[in-house]
Amino acid sequence: MAKQKKIPITRISRFFGSQDFNLEQEMGMEYLHGDIHFTLVLFRVDRKKSDVDDVYGESGPEEIRYKAPVEFNGLVSIASPSNKTYASGLVNQMEPGNMTISVYIKHLEELNIDVSYGDYIGYAETEDKMRYYTVTNDGRVVSDNAHTIGGYKPYYRTIICSYVSPNEFNGV
Amino acid sequence: MAIPKKVKTNINISPRPPQPQYDSGYNGLTTPNRRRELSELITEDGTFLPKSVLHADMDRGMLDFVIEDLKTGVSGKKIPVIDRILTLQRWGEFSQTWSFSTPDKNVSLPFIVVVRQPDVQYGSNPSLQYTIPDRKQFHFAKVPTWDGNRKGVDIYTIPQPIPVDITYDVKIICNRMRELNQFNRTVMQKFSSRQAYTFVKGHYIPIVLEALSDESVIDTEERRYYQQNYKFQLQGFLIDENEFEVKPAINRSLLFFDTNTSHKKSGNGSPSVVNQHKMNIYNKNKFRRKLDYGFEDTPGGTTQTVTYAYKATVTLVRSDNVSSVVYKINGTTTQGKVEVDIGDVLEVVIVKTVGPLATSQVVLEELIYP
Repeated sequence: MAKQKKIPITRISRFFGSQDFNLEQEMGMEYLHGDIHFTLVLFRVDRKKSDVDDVYGESGPEEIRYKAPVEFNGLVSIASPSNKTYASGLVNQMEPGNMTISVYIKHLEELNIDVSYGDYIGYAETEDKMRYYTVTNDGRVVSDNAHTIGGYKPYYRTIICSYVSPNEFNGV
Repeated sequence: MAIPKKVKTNINISPRPPQPQYDSGYNGLTTPNRRRELSELITEDGTFLPKSVLHADMDRGMLDFVIEDLKTGVSGKKIPVIDRILTLQRWGEFSQTWSFSTPDKNVSLPFIVVVRQPDVQYGSNPSLQYTIPDRKQFHFAKVPTWDGNRKGVDIYTIPQPIPVDITYDVKIICNRMRELNQFNRTVMQKFSSRQAYTFVKGHYIPIVLEALSDESVIDTEERRYYQQNYKFQLQGFLIDENEFEVKPAINRSLLFFDTNTSHKKSGNGSPSVVNQHKMNIYNKNKFRRKLDYGFEDTPGGTTQTVTYAYKATVTLVRSDNVSSVVYKINGTTTQGKVEVDIGDVLEVVIVKTVGPLATSQVVLEELIYP
């Protein structure tokens, strides 16, 4: 396999360089992982081993295979619960709002994991209540300025998840 | 100058051989070969019954149709088709498109995707609409059986298939007009007679091209791409093997006879003789005689004569168009019981209820003395 060509990043080098970038990142990670310490559990769907339907590519709860769950840290923000209804307003449905996770790219690389569209993430709301969410936006594209430090280089991903009911996923 | 691509080096000049059993056309009695062939396709590799055709089978048939019959390539490269009906399950999308995705896990253009409208409507195929109520079962096959002692048959019955219309949007997303043109040409050629057929478990199911629309994104400041939507309607039907019935046919019949000896039937004329045995002799001492009367102005219109060679007591048991009867023995009118002796001549004179141009009948019962 050919070695991937690397391009040196020299922009804003008069004020900011790779050492500054690494320092900022280390401090942020220390704050997020050490002080804030939001812990999540990632359940990655094993797309090769899962038993899928020939026509729809769907799987039942017992047919989906998962890779080993991995704990990771991120900054969690959960939106207000939405009060919705089925059947034209007759069946009430109160569910948690979307969960937005900001996670350091370096942290994912250290854990050797990737968060993909459709994976499941568990978040312990209380000591005895775990809620599960599915990834609706894996934040893979981090080309915007907001995900960089001063435009130098992207350093985190924003992952958006929506709540899943226990009949879709309830832990492994 | 265009060079023909399809050059046939051999021309079949012999006409199609006629079916030997129908040398002068189909006789309407036996099963035509083609119908037999279609029937065998339906029941191939299985039981004597057709296999279920359900929604997933028709979806698979549509996917196969798009992959096989609408395959399109430009510059020697085939435009990939996502080989699944995409559903709500999010992680399933990438698992079907990984083979032609970018490092950002986006699908590479061009590609073709089949989207099924979730609602499946009652079918518009006129040959199946609301024709048989109440899921009535129809004969499909007779299958021989053998239980070790007796031969028999099982009767396989199925109800009428339920017609359904399924709408599919086949979308091509691409960057080049040439790819659009090529796919459009393939579709138009395939649907030049409005419909094409897919093959699902031995059944030919029609697909109708309903509409074509353009959903291309051609914006000044956004990424541009072509997207066209071909709307197809698959006019399928549901066959559910859970509705099939298998029941044994009649393989033995028992007939029971019972006779009532209190009402003996009188024989008409001499007893029948079968193998030198007299049959039908339930009451040999009684004999019923029918006298027919013609129009009144003809001989025998109101009077019939019987000459007896035995002694008997005569009674009237039935009459038609007769208001009164007078008996005369040897010309003398008899009152009360009518008893005749050997050699007597009995005249039976009637007065008709409706006459003179009407016939009458009288039935006499004679109790014969031995």
